[in-house]
Amino acid sequence: MDEKRFGHRVDVLAFLAVIVVVALISRLGYLQVVEGKFYGNLADGNRIRLIPVMAPRGTFYDRNGVTLVSNRPGFTVSLVPISGPIQEQVINKLSGIIGVSADEIKQKVSGQTGSFEPIRVKADIGQDVVTRIEEHRAELPGVVIEIQPIRNYVYNELAAHVFGYVSEINDVELAENKAAGYRAGDIIGKFGLEKVYDREIRGVDGGGQVEVDVTGRPVQELGKKEPQPGNNLVLTLDYRIQKAAEEAIAEQLKYLQGTIKRTNAKAAAAVVMNPNNGEILAMVSCPAFNPNFFSSGISTKNWKALNDNPFHPMDNKAISGMYPPGSTFKIVTGTAALELGKVTPEEKILDTGKHWLIPKGNDAGEALGWIDFKVAMAKSDNVYFYEMGNRLGIDNLEKYARLFGLGDYTGINLPGEADGLVANQRYKEKVYGEDWYLSETFDAAIGQGFQLATPLQIASVMSQIANGGHRYRPYLVSKIVTQSGEPVKLFGPEEVGNIKISDRTLTLIREALREVATERGTAGQIFKDFPIPIAGKTGTAENPHGDDHAWFACYAPYNNPRVVVVVVVEQGGYGAEASVPIARKILEAAFNINQAPIENAQMYIPKTAL
Amino acid sequence: MLSRRLLKNLDFTMIGVTLLLILISLVIIGSATHVNSPSEERYWFVERQGLFAVANIVFVFLMLHFDYKSLGKYANILYVLNLVILLAVMFVGQSALGAQRWIQIGPISLQPSEFSKLIMIISLAHMLDKRTGKLNTFKEIIPVFIYVGVPFLLVLKQPDLGTSLVFLAILLGMVFVAGVSLKHFGALLAVGAAFMPIFWHFLKDYQKKRLTVFLDPNIDPLGSGYHIIQSKIAIGSGMLFGKGLFGGTQSQLNFLPENHTDFIFAVIGEELGFIGASIILILYFVLLYRGVKIAGAARDNFGVLLAAGISSMLMFHVLVNVGMTAGIMPVTGIPLPLMSYGVSSLTTNLVSIGILLNIYMRRQKIMF
Repeated sequence: MDEKRFGHRVDVLAFLAVIVVVALISRLGYLQVVEGKFYGNLADGNRIRLIPVMAPRGTFYDRNGVTLVSNRPGFTVSLVPISGPIQEQVINKLSGIIGVSADEIKQKVSGQTGSFEPIRVKADIGQDVVTRIEEHRAELPGVVIEIQPIRNYVYNELAAHVFGYVSEINDVELAENKAAGYRAGDIIGKFGLEKVYDREIRGVDGGGQVEVDVTGRPVQELGKKEPQPGNNLVLTLDYRIQKAAEEAIAEQLKYLQGTIKRTNAKAAAAVVMNPNNGEILAMVSCPAFNPNFFSSGISTKNWKALNDNPFHPMDNKAISGMYPPGSTFKIVTGTAALELGKVTPEEKILDTGKHWLIPKGNDAGEALGWIDFKVAMAKSDNVYFYEMGNRLGIDNLEKYARLFGLGDYTGINLPGEADGLVANQRYKEKVYGEDWYLSETFDAAIGQGFQLATPLQIASVMSQIANGGHRYRPYLVSKIVTQSGEPVKLFGPEEVGNIKISDRTLTLIREALREVATERGTAGQIFKDFPIPIAGKTGTAENPHGDDHAWFACYAPYNNPRVVVVVVVEQGGYGAEASVPIARKILEAAFNINQAPIENAQMYIPKTAL
Repeated sequence: MLSRRLLKNLDFTMIGVTLLLILISLVIIGSATHVNSPSEERYWFVERQGLFAVANIVFVFLMLHFDYKSLGKYANILYVLNLVILLAVMFVGQSALGAQRWIQIGPISLQPSEFSKLIMIISLAHMLDKRTGKLNTFKEIIPVFIYVGVPFLLVLKQPDLGTSLVFLAILLGMVFVAGVSLKHFGALLAVGAAFMPIFWHFLKDYQKKRLTVFLDPNIDPLGSGYHIIQSKIAIGSGMLFGKGLFGGTQSQLNFLPENHTDFIFAVIGEELGFIGASIILILYFVLLYRGVKIAGAARDNFGVLLAAGISSMLMFHVLVNVGMTAGIMPVTGIPLPLMSYGVSSLTTNLVSIGILLNIYMRRQKIMF
């Protein structure tokens, strides 16, 4: 029978059992007898301490290598409950020294279960506090001070909404990222690029088990792993343009509030973009916040101030602020009308101050008489564009708005982007259950009514006019590099849409936009003596909640567009008055005009990624 | 009642060793869970483990009345049931440490992958029964690998790497005893080895880390290396005679997490020393040796295969678990049979030993 045949194979199993047990006993002999003394010493007196070393997060550089976000060393107070639970009096004593309430400390202690890692109580304490803890060392068993890198935003509020901020991981984030090795007490990016690229830039924490003597002094290291710093981000931002834009906005808001008495002009946003690839050169949202406040744990006072500010400093208005695009939308209406042959460049329409079907007119009630396309665009004539809306119909308007990418996310690599809204019949039917009226088409044609767009979307529309219809995904990071500069990941232009506009239409729209910034146009005054030819469109968007929002969108140089600038000032009034001066200062920085002499002064030349 | 002849044929050595190991386990679990510290629920683990041990021993004794041969009849149903349970874990299971491994039934959390090891052995024994001696073409061998491969992948998906490796050990042990042609066996092992890089690719990062960190725990001293460093310190510091029961500083002061489950051998090493730990390993040797002998003595192929499968399983568990605590095997979460706290594992192991007893008891062919 078969058993006989394979009986010896069963014996092989028995032999294996002998080998297994002999091998294991030999290993035990080695550990317990040969090396026993060594391990005995380690275990003796419970002398092992865990010393984690937090990895520094990657640095953010601007496109020219200027350091924008880095780290600085700071002291962090932690509790290590390794020789039993932390005693009540230790917590009370510590509370008095560092100014964190005993309840808050207890909450952190009880939140950390089943772990032997230090419980971080307060980050970034001052040297004086360190000294006081050292003085009371004997009364504070289990309290340790670690040196930790603290995130440092070199220019404080500069580009705060782009960079975001970091702070301690919360329960939800911990649950989501546990598999990726995140631990309680970790620092995690909460907003902006810090959040989006957290995994790339956080690095790998190091640390070791250290044997200490009775007084807590390290005697030897039992295992040590150096922390690996995170990867660096090379941004597409240009520090000079970003700074100029923020300063220009701050100055202009002050001017508007004071001289012009626009008392509610307290918020604004700007986007500066390379139309040929989607690189963001600057992005401003005002008011801003100081991300450094979060790095070492934000104080209740500062947090309250941010939360109570009616102008929402924590929102990135450049990507999440939805405004009626106002007259900047006339670019879309004009393109649609020309492309669909609803009007010829030569046809003149009579503006008597009001449209003949519905008595809607120009803002100031002026009448421009017989005007053609170019004049209508340059002077931003409403009656002419009402008629364009009338001829196109809402569906064609919607179609072209969507072809330009409106009503949809641009796909920028930042969290919290808004998609805006394109006026359309389905939306009205769904939300209000009502039919569409012609007057609403009129509103839609001049960027009012239901139309909503973010400054970034308008920058994208302007880029498409500048580059001939290519819609690039806007992006902020050109590459991720290791500490030694080796590229890990490169980012380049990504075309996400192409609105095929005929050359004839493009030329006409561009010429009309050029006129906006020359003597005849709405932005002509401010750009009168500007050495570089620009093309643009102003917008004054009615705001049911206050003063009008002021828009300006432009590109330059006119013949060879390399920069698109979009500015919106909330409740700033007229686009020409409130926003155009900001755009001019941004362009001055971009083209190095009237700038204070700086090192390597040269005209700004966009670098192309890849 | 069982006939006197059958009772006389019981393997009393195996019964003795098993009971001894269970008693030792209750003491060590007690030490690892601080029964000597004042607390309301200090006996919770010991009581539970003891209760399930007694219940299982009664169950095993009752099962001795039935000929193990009848297990073959249920082999196919058991195989399907196994797949269903493993799938169920994926959907209704509770996760621990990122793995879906538990099903909660009333007050008991069950770990289906523990039971699935024994079910695998039974169904595979039935399958190989007819193929014994014929495993000399790929046509005969490949279906066996597929048969085990399906539940293997389900367990791997949980992910429970340890149990899936146990499946492999069972498969290799049983196919070997079933007389696979060594040439083909070698070829399949070579193919398996060639597939290792692909298998490796599908592992999660933390699994890769756990698998390699034992080679040098210092690469991750606060993460996956932590257990290994602490476990080695605990065992090593036990030295020749140990620190005495309840005297292990590493285990008593909670340096070593999981010390009543996967890392219980570290407590043994620390508190009972080299001598105590070696004695316990020798008890395991007796258990394994008897298991293999029972395989050799079984009256039919099915019994040979069952006993070989169970022995392979137990051997692999002992090797990988003790090896893990001693820092020579990767950390894969395999419990030490009869020793680690865990209701599912205890039940599986006692029922397995019951089957061994059953096979040995009925080793003589009944003559008519």
